[in-house]
Amino acid sequence: MIGALRSWTDRFLGRGAAAVTVPPLDGALKPNSKLDEAPHGIDADEPDDILVANGATYYSAGNQLFQVDGNGVGIPVFQAPGVITALAVSPEGRIAIASEPGGIRLFDCNSSAAGVGGKQTWSCITAMAFAGENTLLACIGSNQTPIAEWQRDLLNGGNSGAVWTIDVNTGAADRIASGLAYPNGIVVEADGNIVISESWRKHLIRLTSAGKLVGQVMEDLPGYPARISRNSRGGYWLSLFAPRNQLIEFVLREPEYRKAMMAEVAPEFWIAPALRSGASFNEPMQGGALKQMGILKPWAPTRSYGLAVELTADFEPVRSLHSRAGGKRHGITATVENGNRLWLASKGGNEVVAIELMRQGA
Amino acid sequence: MTPILELRNVSKEFHGVAAIRGVDFALMPGEVHSLLGENGAGKSTLTKIMAGVHKASSGEVLLDGRPRVFDSPAEALHNGIAMVFQETSLVPSLTVAQNIYLGNEKFLNRLRGIYIAAQQFLQSLNFGVDPTMYVSQLGAAQKQMVEIARAVHHKARVIIFDEPTATLTPEEKHHFFALIARLKKDGVSIIFISHALEEALAISDRITILRDGQHVVTDDAGNFDRDKIIAAMVGRTLSEELYSRDKSRSVRGYGRKVLSVQNLSMGKMVRNTSFSVYGGQITGIFGLIGSGRTETAKIISGVIKRDFFHGGEVRLEGKSVRYRVPRPAIKDGVVYVTEDRKIEGFFETKSIAENIYMNLLSADLNKRAVISYSEMMALAETWTRKLNVKAIDSNARVIELSGGNQQKVVIARSLVQKPKLIIFDEPTRGVDVGAIAELHHVINELADSGLAVVVISSYLPEILNLADRILVSRQGRIVEEFSMEEATEEKIMYAAVH
Repeated sequence: MIGALRSWTDRFLGRGAAAVTVPPLDGALKPNSKLDEAPHGIDADEPDDILVANGATYYSAGNQLFQVDGNGVGIPVFQAPGVITALAVSPEGRIAIASEPGGIRLFDCNSSAAGVGGKQTWSCITAMAFAGENTLLACIGSNQTPIAEWQRDLLNGGNSGAVWTIDVNTGAADRIASGLAYPNGIVVEADGNIVISESWRKHLIRLTSAGKLVGQVMEDLPGYPARISRNSRGGYWLSLFAPRNQLIEFVLREPEYRKAMMAEVAPEFWIAPALRSGASFNEPMQGGALKQMGILKPWAPTRSYGLAVELTADFEPVRSLHSRAGGKRHGITATVENGNRLWLASKGGNEVVAIELMRQGA
Repeated sequence: MTPILELRNVSKEFHGVAAIRGVDFALMPGEVHSLLGENGAGKSTLTKIMAGVHKASSGEVLLDGRPRVFDSPAEALHNGIAMVFQETSLVPSLTVAQNIYLGNEKFLNRLRGIYIAAQQFLQSLNFGVDPTMYVSQLGAAQKQMVEIARAVHHKARVIIFDEPTATLTPEEKHHFFALIARLKKDGVSIIFISHALEEALAISDRITILRDGQHVVTDDAGNFDRDKIIAAMVGRTLSEELYSRDKSRSVRGYGRKVLSVQNLSMGKMVRNTSFSVYGGQITGIFGLIGSGRTETAKIISGVIKRDFFHGGEVRLEGKSVRYRVPRPAIKDGVVYVTEDRKIEGFFETKSIAENIYMNLLSADLNKRAVISYSEMMALAETWTRKLNVKAIDSNARVIELSGGNQQKVVIARSLVQKPKLIIFDEPTRGVDVGAIAELHHVINELADSGLAVVVISSYLPEILNLADRILVSRQGRIVEEFSMEEATEEKIMYAAVH
């Protein structure tokens, strides 16, 4: 009763859980221009996921899987029946490819691919990771909204995400966690626990291998988290595909407004996080708020941003790479380390970016 | 010419600790004499002896060539020596006019007459203060104006101004300097204490510099320049050691995020400010007076409240908190060490032991349900030894200690509460140089032990020397963050004023 009363007064006064606030980008997350300063990468049409298998870097863009050759050029190595939505690499180097439509296929890097069996029809797979050579973990972002309409899922307050474990030999699948708010990244820890990034709740959670919630490992992130990958120092890289800002936070607390907006306004002009922005003057945040003397202010409140964060083994931020409001390499959906290079998929910037880690002070 | 006021070989000790030692000082009729020195150099103590607030432990005070001992400020005022204090000495519950006429009342007083006379008097000084307003309703600058008006009204022959311009706007400063010129023309002698060296050089006839409670030099203002003054003020190895940037010191990394302040707002003082504080490192906050640093710290620690509507959010270790009073903040491990220790830092008439024990009680950390004298004394003994508080014993009253030792007691009071996050607001203000080094050592130790430490300071060398990362506050919000590699005095000051 007291809790309900407090929640009501908090909503009325705009405080507590109802406070329209966003965490600051400071400390290890202090803004810089390292993503934009990196040399020109590989042009790609909305690159989405990226991984390292057998020493080579692979990325997905559209319905194709590309391998980066020695000259830094993307060579198509596999064509999926639909848009590739997630990739994972097994300990022995097989690549699991999820596409929509098409389900999950295993690619052995020798141009042969086989579908994973079973009766399950897969859709909206946002991230995958192997928990052994034959066990694949898959994050389902939403079972109500197609993957391309992720903004609608956010604005509808979606929490229909799930994590499945799949035997890649038999196709047997088991749902180990559900009710998640758009799980969008997954990594398996050394002790077998699983860390999931829940995009709409802006946090990272830890589950046991059986899917039981252990706790929150990072909370109140300044952006929407996407995929997580291991680094060579025992820690992780976390990609954040869009920033939080106060206007969007406010809209997320106004259901009637959201309903009307989704019914009446074209999706590209919704007040919602985006992978890229600034292309049209019809966008909700533009003009005087963003530009000064005709130049986009790097510190402007924006719907899109580029951010990758290096974390310790305890998930404490160490450093970060940014493409600020005025930059182009926005919408970082995946990051992976290969030797001294960090590869990032900038879905908003239509580019796969490589950064020399030594040059960035590693 | 005989000096109007002269001090010969004057020393003053507080509980065995010397604040000034063997100082000679002479003030000539009709001169403006600036008294300069670092914090803790002994300027305030020296002038308080002149104004009858303190009695000299040794040496003599001569007025018009004759030795005098003033038992009270009223006696000094009666003899023509008025002091405009750094901490205002006005009565907040009286009006401006009543404060100006306080001590000068006639047998029968007509309030309306006092208001009219005060109005005319304030207008003659170009001070735009309403004489019918209560002093408690005035801002700091207006209070300072009333203090000045009061001193002038008493027709003092010697007026001592202790940091009079710190709270004044540029326009008010202009009026103030015109007033000084007018008083000087009328034959009034003025002692001017300021940290603004340019002001001292511009208006003084002579300048005296004190250091560590001792006289360093007195000379005509024309023989000084800024560099010469600074060299005389700080020209000693201790200051160099304290504030030279130790390039070799290792900067502490980011620990866990202890505090996240998000879009915090409070009136016009704190405007939508956001920052984070991490464990195991010192976060320095630099900003000019009025930049909202102190108010932000006070909101975090529950001393003052944020805006009722949309005041933002404070998250302590991931949990949203909103303190209305300091006690729950203390219980959650958030402690604020005030910049104004004399008003907010301690109970001045209580002993060191009582002061420290009181904070233990307020945090509910005392071992026994009843007040235990032995626990109190043991606690005081531990902390006075740990922080090297120089006093006769733990029963000494805090008011009798030097600024540095008072500050150590204030810090001890905070540390007994076992904080997770400790916010130091101007930790070395009014502290002698020796104690500064000790306080810095204590602050560094706290960070090394894993505590999240915030140091708010308007003294750049202190911030640069202590902090692992520096946040700059301007107009109520954090506007810039510098790592120690990129921080320079110029960059920080640029961020603070532009």
